Amino acid sequence: MKNKTERTYFDRVHTWGRLWSVGALITLLLVPVSICVHFNAWPPMQEVFKALIKVLPIYWGTAVVEVLTYTPMLGAGGTYLSFVSGNITNLKLPCGLSAMENAGVKANSEEGEVISTIAIGVSEITTTVIIAAGVLLFAPFLGTLTDPDSVFSPAFTYVLPALFGALGAGYFRKHWRISVFPILIGIAVLLFAPTLPAGTLLFATIVASIGGALVFMKLKWI
Amino acid sequence: MDFKESGFMYGLAVFVIGFVVVESVFFIVKAFKRGRELGLSKEKMKNAAISSALFTVAPALSILATVIALAGALGIVLPWIRLSVIGNLAYETVASETMLEVFGASLKQPVTDPSQFGAVAWVMTLGTSFALVLLPFFCKTIHKKVGQTVAKSEKTSKAGDVLAAAAFIGIIAAFIARAINGKTEDGVGDAGLMSIATLLTSMAVSLILETVCAKFSLTKLQPFAMPIAMFAGMGMAVLLGLALPESVAAWTWWRQI
Repeated sequence: MKNKTERTYFDRVHTWGRLWSVGALITLLLVPVSICVHFNAWPPMQEVFKALIKVLPIYWGTAVVEVLTYTPMLGAGGTYLSFVSGNITNLKLPCGLSAMENAGVKANSEEGEVISTIAIGVSEITTTVIIAAGVLLFAPFLGTLTDPDSVFSPAFTYVLPALFGALGAGYFRKHWRISVFPILIGIAVLLFAPTLPAGTLLFATIVASIGGALVFMKLKWI
Repeated sequence: MDFKESGFMYGLAVFVIGFVVVESVFFIVKAFKRGRELGLSKEKMKNAAISSALFTVAPALSILATVIALAGALGIVLPWIRLSVIGNLAYETVASETMLEVFGASLKQPVTDPSQFGAVAWVMTLGTSFALVLLPFFCKTIHKKVGQTVAKSEKTSKAGDVLAAAAFIGIIAAFIARAINGKTEDGVGDAGLMSIATLLTSMAVSLILETVCAKFSLTKLQPFAMPIAMFAGMGMAVLLGLALPESVAAWTWWRQI
């Protein structure tokens, strides 16, 4: 009976998520359509196509990989929310992981689903409020704060090491045996392709991490 | 008035951002109700929300910085819309620059032609919306398959737990590796003294706070531990920037090579 209830909840999340995704797609497409209609300024489509041909293979390819990689991590509700609100790698993913870790629940459990959805939803609302407040009130001030010459500039330049260091420490302490290998693989890959973005590099580190864990289990080291 | 910051554009922003906020509230309410049914304590769910909000502040300020950076060319409203929704720090900049290059323009100058502005909006939107086409078809299948694999593994051993942790660690490892040995296209934020000091500080503070919380049962402090550790790391970057001579602070592996 419990299993049936759990399945039903996940099924409902997927139904809501599908409807919201279609709604979001229509809403997003309304932006360029409205701009072109309102200003009566349709761009020459060949020119748009020239730019699209450069960016679509990268963006759409990345989208396929991101959907495959992030969906198991974020849970169903978290996935539908994250792909509408964006900034997954640098914000939604760490928020979801951190909240599940703090609450002591597993991803892919129903408890993990609930916690991840709450964390990602709250993160999105917080981002929206901060950006809106910044745009409306603090835009001139923020320019000074993040200016490359500002004393606070390094804080923003190194926000990702600060964020993932804070998030990773707890995991590494708990699972130190399986943590070293993927980091070394990541460093090795960067020796050959130093500018490889984290979003691409993580496929190598995830494979190394899971592969390493499987080998360690086989050797009974963990 | 600049057409890029007209009342119409602000109206469009309110509509799009309103959609995302309503969606978030919808999912939070549903998750909260389900959490109560599952027996999750109100406090646990509230802590997840508080911790998440705190965790979001610094990255959101970075996103805001990108909005401001793009505002010079595109006005404040279009970057605001894009970075509040599906957008991403890197995607929006690359998409708009690529489109403007086709017109022989760039993000360094304000866009004055509405059709160029419309073209930028098209490329930004079409470039980043593909995941929304994929999700309705594949999200449920992926989710189910992973759930089945984990459940199957758990029956025989604790392998499911270890593999789930390994997948998380794999993601975090990519960012740690970049902080240790990564390079950026523009040379800003290359791995070196600053990135490693920031990384180590946030890791150390996180571990110390975690230990203190566990030892003294400080459950109220626990949700704040990770955001505090992150701010500590950022604070270290600012301190080193102020305290060290520029040649030392700016030292990176890549500049040495």
